[in-house]
Amino acid sequence: MKKATRQPMLLGTALFLAAGSLFGCKDSFLTDAATPQGVLDAGVLANAAGVEGNLIAAYRALDWTTGLNGGQAAAASNWVWGSVASDDAYKGSDATDFTAIMDVERYDWGAPGADGILDDKWKQVFEGVSRANATLNLLKQVVKDSPAQLGAADQAGIEGEALFLRAHYEFEAYRMWGNVPYLREDDTDVRKASLQKAAVATEILKDLDAAIAKLPTTPRKGQVGRATQWTAKAYKGRVQMYAGNYAGALTTLREVVASGPYALQPSYDQVWTGFKQYENGKETILAYQASANDGESSGNNANYGERLNFPHSGSPFGCCGFHQPSQNLMNSFVVDPATGLPTMITNPTTWNAENGEYDAAKTASMTIDPRMDWTAGRDGVPYKDWGAHNNTWIRDASYSGPYSPKKNVHEQASGAQSSVGWVNTQLNSVNIHLFRYADLLLMLAEAEVEAGSLASAMADVNLVRARAGVKAQGPGTSTATIAVPITDPSITWAKYKVSPYTSFPSQAYARDAVRAERKIELAMEGQRFFDLKRWGILETTLNAYVNGVGGGSEKSRRTFFNNAQAVQAKHNNFPIPSREVLLSTVDGQPRVAQNTGW
Amino acid sequence: MRETREIAMEETVPRRQSFINTPMRVLRAIGTSVLLVMLFAGNALAQQIAVTGTVTGAGGGPLAGVTVRISGTETRVLTNATGRYTITAPANGALTYTLIGQKPAREEIGGRTRIDVRMEGVTYLEEVVVTAYTEQRRADITGAVASINVESAARQTGASVLQKLDAVPGITVVASGSPASRSTVRIRGISSFQNNDPLYVIDGVPVQDSYINWLNPADITSIQVLKDASAASIYGSRASNGVIVIETTKRGASGPPRVTFSARTGLASPTRGYDDFLINNALDYFQVVKTSFTNAKLPVPTNIFGDPNNPTVPTYTYAADNTYTTKDAFGRPLNVDVNKYSYPNSLIMPGSTGTNWWKAVFPGQAPVGDYNINVAGSGEDHTYGVSGNYFDQRGTAVYNDFRRGSLRANTQFTRSKLTFGENAAIAAERSVGGMGDPTGYAEDGIVGKNILMQPVVPIYDINGNFASGKAGGLGNQSNPLKFAYERRNNINNNNRIFGNGFAGFQALQALALRSSIGFNIRQGTGKGFNPTTFENSEPGTTNGFNENQEANLDWTWTNTARYNKQLGSHTFNLLAGQEANKSTFRHLEASMNSFKATDPNSLYIQAALGDPGTRNTQSYGSQSSLLSYFGKADYNFQDKYVASVTVRRDGSSRLGPDHRWGTFPAFGLGWRVSKEKFLENNKILSDAMLRFGYGVTGNQQIPSGRIISQYGGDLGDTYYDIAGTNSSIQPGFRQTKLGNADLKWEENRATNIGADLAMFNGYLNVIFDVYQRNTNNLLFDPALPATAGFANSPIVNIGKMRNKGFDFSVGHTGDRWNATLQGSHYKNEIVSIDGVQNFFITNVKVRDREAAINQVGYPIGSFLGFKTNGYINTQAEADACKAGSVQGFCEMGAIKFVDINGDGKVTNADRTIIGNPHPDFTGSLDLGYRFGNFDVSGTVFGSFGNDIFDAQKLFYVFRMFQTNVKADLLENSWTPTNTNAKYPRINENDQNSNAFSDYFVEDGSYVRMRNLQVGYNVPQRFARWLNATRVYVQAENLFTITGYEGLDPSLPAADINGAAGDIRDQYRGVDRGTYPSSKTFSIGITTSF
Repeated sequence: MKKATRQPMLLGTALFLAAGSLFGCKDSFLTDAATPQGVLDAGVLANAAGVEGNLIAAYRALDWTTGLNGGQAAAASNWVWGSVASDDAYKGSDATDFTAIMDVERYDWGAPGADGILDDKWKQVFEGVSRANATLNLLKQVVKDSPAQLGAADQAGIEGEALFLRAHYEFEAYRMWGNVPYLREDDTDVRKASLQKAAVATEILKDLDAAIAKLPTTPRKGQVGRATQWTAKAYKGRVQMYAGNYAGALTTLREVVASGPYALQPSYDQVWTGFKQYENGKETILAYQASANDGESSGNNANYGERLNFPHSGSPFGCCGFHQPSQNLMNSFVVDPATGLPTMITNPTTWNAENGEYDAAKTASMTIDPRMDWTAGRDGVPYKDWGAHNNTWIRDASYSGPYSPKKNVHEQASGAQSSVGWVNTQLNSVNIHLFRYADLLLMLAEAEVEAGSLASAMADVNLVRARAGVKAQGPGTSTATIAVPITDPSITWAKYKVSPYTSFPSQAYARDAVRAERKIELAMEGQRFFDLKRWGILETTLNAYVNGVGGGSEKSRRTFFNNAQAVQAKHNNFPIPSREVLLSTVDGQPRVAQNTGW
Repeated sequence: MRETREIAMEETVPRRQSFINTPMRVLRAIGTSVLLVMLFAGNALAQQIAVTGTVTGAGGGPLAGVTVRISGTETRVLTNATGRYTITAPANGALTYTLIGQKPAREEIGGRTRIDVRMEGVTYLEEVVVTAYTEQRRADITGAVASINVESAARQTGASVLQKLDAVPGITVVASGSPASRSTVRIRGISSFQNNDPLYVIDGVPVQDSYINWLNPADITSIQVLKDASAASIYGSRASNGVIVIETTKRGASGPPRVTFSARTGLASPTRGYDDFLINNALDYFQVVKTSFTNAKLPVPTNIFGDPNNPTVPTYTYAADNTYTTKDAFGRPLNVDVNKYSYPNSLIMPGSTGTNWWKAVFPGQAPVGDYNINVAGSGEDHTYGVSGNYFDQRGTAVYNDFRRGSLRANTQFTRSKLTFGENAAIAAERSVGGMGDPTGYAEDGIVGKNILMQPVVPIYDINGNFASGKAGGLGNQSNPLKFAYERRNNINNNNRIFGNGFAGFQALQALALRSSIGFNIRQGTGKGFNPTTFENSEPGTTNGFNENQEANLDWTWTNTARYNKQLGSHTFNLLAGQEANKSTFRHLEASMNSFKATDPNSLYIQAALGDPGTRNTQSYGSQSSLLSYFGKADYNFQDKYVASVTVRRDGSSRLGPDHRWGTFPAFGLGWRVSKEKFLENNKILSDAMLRFGYGVTGNQQIPSGRIISQYGGDLGDTYYDIAGTNSSIQPGFRQTKLGNADLKWEENRATNIGADLAMFNGYLNVIFDVYQRNTNNLLFDPALPATAGFANSPIVNIGKMRNKGFDFSVGHTGDRWNATLQGSHYKNEIVSIDGVQNFFITNVKVRDREAAINQVGYPIGSFLGFKTNGYINTQAEADACKAGSVQGFCEMGAIKFVDINGDGKVTNADRTIIGNPHPDFTGSLDLGYRFGNFDVSGTVFGSFGNDIFDAQKLFYVFRMFQTNVKADLLENSWTPTNTNAKYPRINENDQNSNAFSDYFVEDGSYVRMRNLQVGYNVPQRFARWLNATRVYVQAENLFTITGYEGLDPSLPAADINGAAGDIRDQYRGVDRGTYPSSKTFSIGITTSF
């Protein structure tokens, strides 16, 4: 009995002693488990690879849909803001699908839906700014702490690229909202106050000048996606145009044209394409480098934000029928048979009178600009090499018309299609142009017009028109026949014609001609809205688009426009997302103030 | 009935803690037993006589199931339903009578052949309950501790015991009708923006995970809920949301093994179906479409129903281009050649006169079975209980079920001053169909998808493959039956080993030491298949398969020392302890797309089976630890004054290095007024205890590792094809989470005032508590403006929340009938958010819309939206609206929104709080009545004053995505002659009236007959070999009284996580198409031998 009691006593004592010694105020028990799992800390990235990786991520935000509601509103192409908000395109699909974009289309930008997707765009651009700034900060740290990591050329190049990217993202914010905060790498207060629009442009130009000074003339590491000194210069000209500094822009853009590496692609079909051999040609100034089948299993890098913008169920793509060209846009492609010039210019009172569908039968003997059939899918006309477009490709024609978008769509033979994703046919590696040389040339033409040098302006416009006349959509029964000469006998659905201007009789005429050319050349590319705004004709153009211009009105074609709001001065800036106004509040005052009128 | 501990005279078998509590009693008892055995052995020749009698309760009613034992022997019988017993015993022996809830009785036989006994009930305050690290008499408890009525809870069929807890005052429980769904339990409101799960302590092992489906409810002997800080703060760090103490120690009385077997089987159907109130006829639906287009001045689509004035159900809703040659005048395919059908590219789908999608997916009559066997017994130096369970519940939806097998062994050995043993459970769970609680989108699951299908869409195409609305105008959704069918092999397995091993040592007469190592080991596997959907309008063209494995290891080592001392009228109980806890978790998942064969045997992640380019693998994990020291001192003066003081000090690995340690003090005072002279022999108040408690508890339930900033990258987020290759990407990195090295404990300060009253000589028991809980340094991650980048905001200790409320229970327990009314009220209020903002909008959305807001002065998760003011009823109103661009759609019949800020426009700035998901009051009434061999019992539950945001109206009222709609939509929608309509004008162009507004909010109050059971105790003459057999029939959710027009007012919490943890409490009461509760009829039997 005694033995039996002694043993447990020993056992118990031992137990408690053991417990006491193991856990007696051992902080290591806590600190050991404090380390986060499966993540990197700042120290691991403080080297050349870390800096380069941060810079890659800064580029990636050019088209960035991760974590946003589908990402359409943050797509690189700006299709929601640049096209649907303008006279280029309808939201598309059917009445009930993605009504937030319908708010945009009906100029009801204060509506809850629009407010939500405006915030997606805001998040995308400021994530870009944030990534660029993170790169700059890490670069400074690495250069200071381990100078041997990066050579001088890379140091300068990385800094230049990051500054350029920051300028790009801030420019996106600037042209959307006007008055926005400008965040630099040394800013620690994330609730930095907005600047006035003009001051934002000044800041952007400051960054671009700094970038020009740092950047090499050819892409670092030979990687075509990177910004060069010429990219930054071209961009500077663009920002000067937006800021209304035509004289400055003229100088900058002339230099880029005269000495830069850029040129037009030989034919228009090589601009928006899935064929790798045409991508990143001389025309590309800045493009989102899409990639498909790159090991990413959802297709996030393959133009995820464009994936609704394909013909619908009867088509080889299956879904979803968004971003449909407007009848107004289609009418813009009609050419005066005699002069070969757009009827927008030759017949300003009747050019937009046609309400009917431009199917192949209707246009068989009409004279049209070949760019119509690179821009829009329409019934009976080959759709690149996917066969003839037909009405089963359209989701709800009674709602949003009979046309499909085309520029973002890859050629079947190009191999650009993704094999992954929700619907893999709607994801591809077609690069999205953020800035291309034709855009720059037409901006130069604009600057020339404003400077009174009309001949130079006409020459630039004619360069663009001449290239447009090289190839048209062919039968597309083989790779070779996707694009054929515009007079090719296999073309039965239209008479294509695009003639050069022979004279710009006045500055006003020249201005109209250049603007008409931009509308046609850059249609559906997300530029139109910003051009209208830049030209100061947003209200008149969009109200006329809805209520009547050139003999036709969209209101009579699409019933939903009957509920469109009138476009007013306030529409020159999108409203700042309400969430961002609220979250910028300090001491009861929002640092990012709402734009006037919203 | 209240669960009390069975204390018989000779069988004060040391339970896990009782030996610490009453060491001498144990030893004495053992000694006495030995003595008695010897005594009787010596009297082996004593005369044996047959004794019969009846055992009645205090009220004179018969007591069934009373253990009648010959004192000092293992011979025993049970009383039958009429309270009668017969036993053969020595004429000079003694009999003991024991029954849970009754004070033990003892009778000397003294040669009598008839002994009738009247037993006295244990009064509420004399009950012994297991609370924190110990057992306590109610009379010694100064905090708010509620006991679950285990018997009443057992009347419900469910995988998780938690589903049965909402009849406890102060507790709310929500769960969906899906068999494996997680129950969300909240004690006394909500104290934090994220993760408000209480701490579960199961057999002494803390578990901070609300998923306890692995625990067999039949193993549970007691559940105590520690509601206030003074009761809970001994669990300090993790107790801020209350503690639920569960004991499974079902052990036998001394004697040979007693076997108890119980079985229940039944059939379940959904309480309500969408077919009750959606359109089930194709042509009726067309009238809605026609009206919508006509009102919008749009051409009415003809591709399905043909001539709008003479619509017909089409022969084919869809035929691929190459399967027909011509179309009729309305664009419908003619001359369809069915031989040209080929899957998947040339599909042909017939038309349906009316598919009842609900019945297709929820056919009802889902079987459920629950089988338990328990073997328990004890000897002089050991007790044991072994149980097995098999539970199989089919979902009321097809291809959906949950099964569990579990095995438990609880044993304890005593050797002299040493006690040791273990409680261990092994459980294997398997759930099929993967239909948990919904996340953000209503369309995610079969319930939501059900609304989305039009009646004209057939279930199958002409070849027997699943059909869907491929043709224009038929919506964009997937066939819900296919959705369920294709997920029939989506199996989630959870294997669990849970329990503890313990050893106790009675070092001195007054000092008991104890050490326990608890373990919670989980291995989970899951797999999921995502089919192609070529038949859809928005087809999915690649299939995909994913699988995952995860493992949790959680151990807790607890050491306590307990010292009891009585000095005259003063009793002291001291407890000191130390605890260490470590949790590790690891998850591995892989996926691949484009499987060549899709039968379950081919679904493995191997290159050859699918497209290896889509193969994706990743793993992640977490770890955390806690180290704690705690002490408790209880003082009792003459059972009249009770005081208790608790201090706990906790260190957490999740918090900043300088703030890891937190100290959580609490105290409680009790005054047993009934012991005072002035209440002596009071007729009304026979026993009364007043309690006051105050304490601080903590919370650190945030993800691990958030004290430092984290970086990462993802192929689809930061990687980029900088070289323009079109098919390869270079690595990129970004900041993913912002850290905060200053993270410290969230604190909850709670005050409780309560009373336990026994009235009219114990006829009524009343328990009443009022409380206030204030949360300070609330841990959460307030949103930063997007200029901060997309990295997760840092978690900070900002914010305050307050809950005030009361809960009560009024009960009567008699021999024949018993009744308990319980009620709870809490009022939650956000007191401050971060000092800058006074609100933030929950980042959870239905489609792209926000429905909830957290605003200072209002409860968490209040509904957000516009206020409405009827409809635009006149052209003049419409014109004025249009002229001022007041709102997005200004035509007659549209909903008119209120311009709250008066700026002339309806914008997001006009959104306001339009509803409160929290009930004003929840209550239940539990009733039981016994007559002869029969007994009837039932529970009615009610929730009052809570609002429901019926987000499904987006679909069944506003027809977003051409979904099905309510059957009365056309009849009751706005027309120029019916301006006081229930629904706005049906108008295809009106995509504005569906903005989230108070139009979506309804009163969610309901009363539900939770369960009703009729039992029959089978007389022994019918089943002679069985000791006590009871059979019963029961019904659950028999009826519901509610004004809520949606499917089921009893909504589960959304399964939603934010960057800083579980945020389901920010999103309560939003109906996104949830799996409805089941109406279940079952029969059961319980028998023992």
